[in-house]
Amino acid sequence: MTEKPKLGVYVCHCGINISATVDVEAVSDYAQGLPNVVVARNYSYMCSDPGQLLIKDDIKEYGLNRIVVASCSPRMHEPTFRKALQEVGLNPYFLEMANIREQCSWVHQDREEATAKAKNLVAAAVAKVRLLEPLAPREVDAEPAALVIGAGIAGIQASLDIADAGFKVYLVEQSPSVGGRMAQLDKTFPTLDCSACILTPKMVDVANHPNIELLAYSEVEEVSGFVGNFEVKVRRKARYVDVSKCTGCGDCAEACRLANRFPSEFDEGMGKRSAIYLPFPQAVPAKYTIDPEKCLFLTRGRCGKSPKCVDACKPGAIDFEQKDEIVSFKVGAIIVATGFDVFDANKKPEYGYSDYPNVITGLEMERLVSASGPTGGEILVDNGEEKIVPKEIAFIQCVGSRDQSVGNEYCSRVCCMYTAKQAHLIKDKIPDATVKVYYIDVRAFGKGFEEFYDRVRREGIRYVRGNPSEIFKEGNKLVVKVEDTLTATPREDKFDLVVLAVGLTPRSDDRKIIDLLRLSQSPDRFLMEAHPKLRPVDTASDGIFLAGCCQGPKDIPDTVAQAKGAAASAMIPLARGKVAIDAQVAEVIEDTCRGCGFCVSICPYSAIELVTINRMGNMVEVARVNEALCKGCGSCSAGCLSNSIQPRSFRDRQILPQIAALGGIE
Amino acid sequence: MDLDKLRKTAAEVVSRDDVKYLIGWRRGTFGYRVAPHFIEDAAGVDELIFSPLCIANLANYLTLTEKLPVPRGQEADTRKVALLVKGCDSRAVAQLIVEKGIKREDVVVIGMPCPGMIDWKLLAERYPETDVAAEIGWKGEDFLLIRGEEEITIPRAEVLAEKCRLCRHPNPVLSDITIGEAVEPWAVAEDSGVAEIEAKEAAERWDYWEEQFSKCIRCYSCRNACPLCYCEDCILDRLDPIWVNRAVNFSENTAFHLARAFHLAGRCVECGECERVCPVGIPLGKLNRKLARTVREEYGFEPGLDPEAEPFQASFKPDDPEEFIL
Repeated sequence: MTEKPKLGVYVCHCGINISATVDVEAVSDYAQGLPNVVVARNYSYMCSDPGQLLIKDDIKEYGLNRIVVASCSPRMHEPTFRKALQEVGLNPYFLEMANIREQCSWVHQDREEATAKAKNLVAAAVAKVRLLEPLAPREVDAEPAALVIGAGIAGIQASLDIADAGFKVYLVEQSPSVGGRMAQLDKTFPTLDCSACILTPKMVDVANHPNIELLAYSEVEEVSGFVGNFEVKVRRKARYVDVSKCTGCGDCAEACRLANRFPSEFDEGMGKRSAIYLPFPQAVPAKYTIDPEKCLFLTRGRCGKSPKCVDACKPGAIDFEQKDEIVSFKVGAIIVATGFDVFDANKKPEYGYSDYPNVITGLEMERLVSASGPTGGEILVDNGEEKIVPKEIAFIQCVGSRDQSVGNEYCSRVCCMYTAKQAHLIKDKIPDATVKVYYIDVRAFGKGFEEFYDRVRREGIRYVRGNPSEIFKEGNKLVVKVEDTLTATPREDKFDLVVLAVGLTPRSDDRKIIDLLRLSQSPDRFLMEAHPKLRPVDTASDGIFLAGCCQGPKDIPDTVAQAKGAAASAMIPLARGKVAIDAQVAEVIEDTCRGCGFCVSICPYSAIELVTINRMGNMVEVARVNEALCKGCGSCSAGCLSNSIQPRSFRDRQILPQIAALGGIE
Repeated sequence: MDLDKLRKTAAEVVSRDDVKYLIGWRRGTFGYRVAPHFIEDAAGVDELIFSPLCIANLANYLTLTEKLPVPRGQEADTRKVALLVKGCDSRAVAQLIVEKGIKREDVVVIGMPCPGMIDWKLLAERYPETDVAAEIGWKGEDFLLIRGEEEITIPRAEVLAEKCRLCRHPNPVLSDITIGEAVEPWAVAEDSGVAEIEAKEAAERWDYWEEQFSKCIRCYSCRNACPLCYCEDCILDRLDPIWVNRAVNFSENTAFHLARAFHLAGRCVECGECERVCPVGIPLGKLNRKLARTVREEYGFEPGLDPEAEPFQASFKPDDPEEFIL
């Protein structure tokens, strides 16, 4: 740089967040005396309009060419101040922030020492900012299409919103039908809307929408590229049924030699299906699928003289020659809506889920009360001796939630309310039933939830505060052993049916999507958002968004809200048609790179590849950074033995003086 | 050692169209000296030797060629380089392949099982060099020195190089052609050198290394002889920024040696070249072996055994131990 550095230093009070602990006046006075500093000021809120104006006016008046803002973490306001610099014609990257809030005032109490540290941090920022280089952000075209992974209510809603806005959507669902968990539910709390009635129209919409390409019974195999330009490969699994011919009549399933022999996944194993099946009557697409692990013809090569489904199918849709097919396409954004698993009640052996047929999970209860369920909505349970209509029914809350013994510390957020709803439905169908709910505490936080909870208590549902320790059998009754913690009384209550209000857990097959998209998990193992408050639908990777329970347990309205949020966020690059690429990314010094590939292995974003170049007549391999993928994290730089890869603005020659200044060396 | 077979094989290899030259050893100019020998045609093989004095690791030369600029109008010579390797040298080749320093297909490895090498300094102490050309070979477990009429059997323990006492891989880990029978790995002595330093108090260790590093004259021989120090532009030579000052003093010398040792963690194949070439006798092997042992024991990784391995410094496992982090 030929221009002499002229620095402005701006110390923020952040209300009293900083000024209560740090003598901001003293810091700005100190900064005034640092080399190349033309002007140093302090102000109550640097990020406010007047604060920014202060900087902009000084840049114009004093011809400042480097700015230090001593305030908060750069995460929130670095973009704010960069923009301010840019507005008055200064390169936005001629800015360095000294974090005197999170790294100083918030973590110290001694005013004198905190002030001394703040001065050090400012001196370090001053030392570095002089050496920053001008950078120019670039833009690349974005593909006006989106990939939505998972077609539960979250994926369906996100797809519909994006498609309605006029963009192409590829909706990938691994099971044969869209609908997800919501399709399994009977009524929804607290309004008692019929789940299927409100969901099925949306399921039909995604199948018919001109902008949505529905890829059911398919799995994402490969994703490469970056925001605006993801290359996606999807495997369409063979259904062994020609979907263009299948009318969904069901003759095949009835004819199947193994008709109604396998537990139906949709009915949580309580109903049966054939080897060729439609997961449930309202399935979309309404096309049959042959289960390749069950079908006699596919597993053994023969099925009597000829497969019965082939004989039964009038349109001739059965096609055993069908193969998996790979579909490739390009999208600008990706929404992950892979949903959840229900907690495996076998992990709480004291409740005897696998021992007693009349200990069931909440989701099984959903199917049991559903008119489309295995009993046609009649509540019938097997007490080990006979099928009965249960008269005494218990619900146990927080099974697999808020429970460190199974590794799930979180609240699953829906169990309190689905229990209340199911208790109500039972009371509705069996008016003389006694229903008890064992709870730790009831969390009825949503709109209309508390009112609903009050309503079911008025209906005579008994709430007993206590976490049962054991369930055992006595005669043909189940005994729940529990301490009523409100009265400190040990109890042994007898029941015909116990419903375990199992919580939500991350999907067991999440690992695949995590590896494919390089996502992170939060400590609860759900997928992690970019910021818990301000970026709840974003991931750390640009252009990849989260919707629904893959990010954490939530109910239907929250899921839909998040899906709509994710859709809106995903549409930003699609609508702009361009994506900005940050200039603060790693850069390879090709002259010294020896092409060992350590950085390629280390890079968490797959942003580096080896390319062959001609170096003084020799063809050698060197690393090259894909600037659109690089996040500037610097891992590569730490691993590079020849120091040939460094993030811009964090080069050795920029940060070493910064470190030296921290240590008091100028 | 079947020298005739070695020379015959070497002659065949250098006569191949796809081989540029063969790197081996020849007798040096005086006494016990041995020099690297670059053979471009079959005539050169007559001078080729393999004796207990061929301790130098020639893998170092593999990475030199591509650094030479190709004169304008000429094409780069992309033919293979043939290389004679002992067990330890072959590990350097394997590690170079792991970190893409060379390509497997660009090198013809002629492996020679190694019964152990002589520490030239120990030998010269006991049997001073003379003008008479000396010939040294193996005799059973021991070494045989033939000098004019003299024929002396030297007990193995008397002159065996330290790195060979600790050698666990005397047979080449990779080779295209192997000459000689595989040798039985011998019982490896406990690395008393490292244990001795580990047993010291921190202050004593500091004093020990202060004394050692203070001797350093920063000739960079250790770096230059190391087959795995081959960056185009070593960061210890850089001027922007200056990581290690050029001043020769304890502080800068320490920075240099520690940077070098850490760059070799999980990469050093313990060939001992750094220590061998050090003109002031700094026990660099102890430093390298300490790091190698940590990598081996904490991470279960030993470099230079598998050319397909993932490079240690670039691999990560969630259960990697972190005990050594203070």
